[in-house]
Amino acid sequence: MRPVADRDSAEWWRRTAAGEFVLQRCDSCATPRFPTRAYCHRCRTREWHWEPVAPAGRVESWIVSHQPFLAGVSEPYTVVMVRLDEAPECVMYGNWRGAEPPVAGLPVRACFRKVDEELSLIDWRPLG
Amino acid sequence: MGGFRDRTAVAGVGYTRFSKDSGVSTLTLACEAVLAALDDAGLTADDVDGIATHRVGDSAAPALVGPALGIHEPSWYLDQFGGGSVSHSVVGQAALAVAAGVAETVVCYRAINARSEFRMGGTGRGLPVSPEVQYQAPYGYFAPPQQYAMFARAHMSRYGTRPEHFGALAVVQRANAAKNPRALMRTPITLDDYLASRWIAEPFRLLDCCLETDGACALVVTSAERAADLRRPPVLISAAAWGGGDSFLSGGRADTTVTSAAELAPRLYRQAGIGPADVDVAEIYDCFTYSVIVQLEDYGFCAKGEGGPYVASGAVAPGGELPVNTHGGFLSEGYVHGVNHIAEAVSQLRGDAGERQVAGAEVALSTAQPGYILPATSALILRKG
Ligand SMILES: [Zn+2]
Repeated sequence: MRPVADRDSAEWWRRTAAGEFVLQRCDSCATPRFPTRAYCHRCRTREWHWEPVAPAGRVESWIVSHQPFLAGVSEPYTVVMVRLDEAPECVMYGNWRGAEPPVAGLPVRACFRKVDEELSLIDWRPLG
Repeated sequence: MGGFRDRTAVAGVGYTRFSKDSGVSTLTLACEAVLAALDDAGLTADDVDGIATHRVGDSAAPALVGPALGIHEPSWYLDQFGGGSVSHSVVGQAALAVAAGVAETVVCYRAINARSEFRMGGTGRGLPVSPEVQYQAPYGYFAPPQQYAMFARAHMSRYGTRPEHFGALAVVQRANAAKNPRALMRTPITLDDYLASRWIAEPFRLLDCCLETDGACALVVTSAERAADLRRPPVLISAAAWGGGDSFLSGGRADTTVTSAAELAPRLYRQAGIGPADVDVAEIYDCFTYSVIVQLEDYGFCAKGEGGPYVASGAVAPGGELPVNTHGGFLSEGYVHGVNHIAEAVSQLRGDAGERQVAGAEVALSTAQPGYILPATSALILRKG
């Protein structure tokens, strides 16, 4: 299923399609934020910049989905929730690209999955 | 504090039959449940001046139900967008309207064809309207059982919560449903049945998940003074609370094993002037087994991380220190998006719950979805009048 970008997120998706792993960083208090949006939830200002961060994190949790919820998808598949190393208050989701099942706390690295020129998704695999 | 403590009451409850295919519109279901609730209270639609519901674009609005029942001059209405997290807020808002004198007799309903027409998160249904969905759905992650499974797994990893803990709850709730003539699933199950049920989204099996139900449930909210003169024993609304400021995705809430209910609970108890130890029976939002376990912790019935062992100890079974979901809950009675939990609490406090009656029940807690999907949540404390 293709993501439906909005006015807050379109630029993030464009950068992701270009292979950049970026978050917003608040100019005023340096709080990182993801998903993308205009205001910093901590200091409520709206000046910010894109900042590349290490495409690395740890597995916060995961599921193995068996029930067919979407047409054209083959089950089972694994979805991980990853807490980013350089922005521990931010989590990202993605599909699991490891040979072994994930475990909580496992260090992981992002891998880009190019869908087409306009869209890349981010999956995760074990570090190393 | 105190606010509107005990100033309003639930004076009537009404149900339609629960089924997997009602064969009728949600408007018809809403009208049937509302009329049944009014009849229970000894009132008619002529007495109604307020109408409220919550829905997600899947059901008849108050502006349809009012005209359909000849409610000529509603002085207050509420068409609350939202799912299970707002179910109890609707009754809270009705109580506010009555306490403020804006309305005298409010009907709150939820009518849903959640199996035959609009399956939550089901195939063919549109995705929820939230910007966060774009970061999840491309990975095949968007259905409520998947989202709850993700948080359940975090709790298992952190605290050692086990499938047997989830299963113990499913077994208790099914046994409760066996004593409830309204319940859709009344055949008792064992822990082995639970463990043998098929995977939906690991760590959740089929028997961790709520039913998908067609049906409606309605409540009549009026002043405590007026309720005392009506047909049934009044059940007072001691506290209603709204909560949920921080979400897991926004960066505001880092601990995936704590819900918005943890911040709401102290306000709720303070408003009612009680603590968790005073609660005799709890009807807790059970979209999935885990949602009960985390709420037992966040509402203060056991320590963080102890929800699983607390359930497995038998504490939540009939005769335990806190009987939970005495009607069978969403897992076994039916899924009416929270309103059937409030209705069961009313029944317990009236003392008319038949075979499943908790002896001497005087105070009940009932809760909404605790804020795992969007952060909003809500809850009520009800008291025998
Ligand atoms: Zn800031």
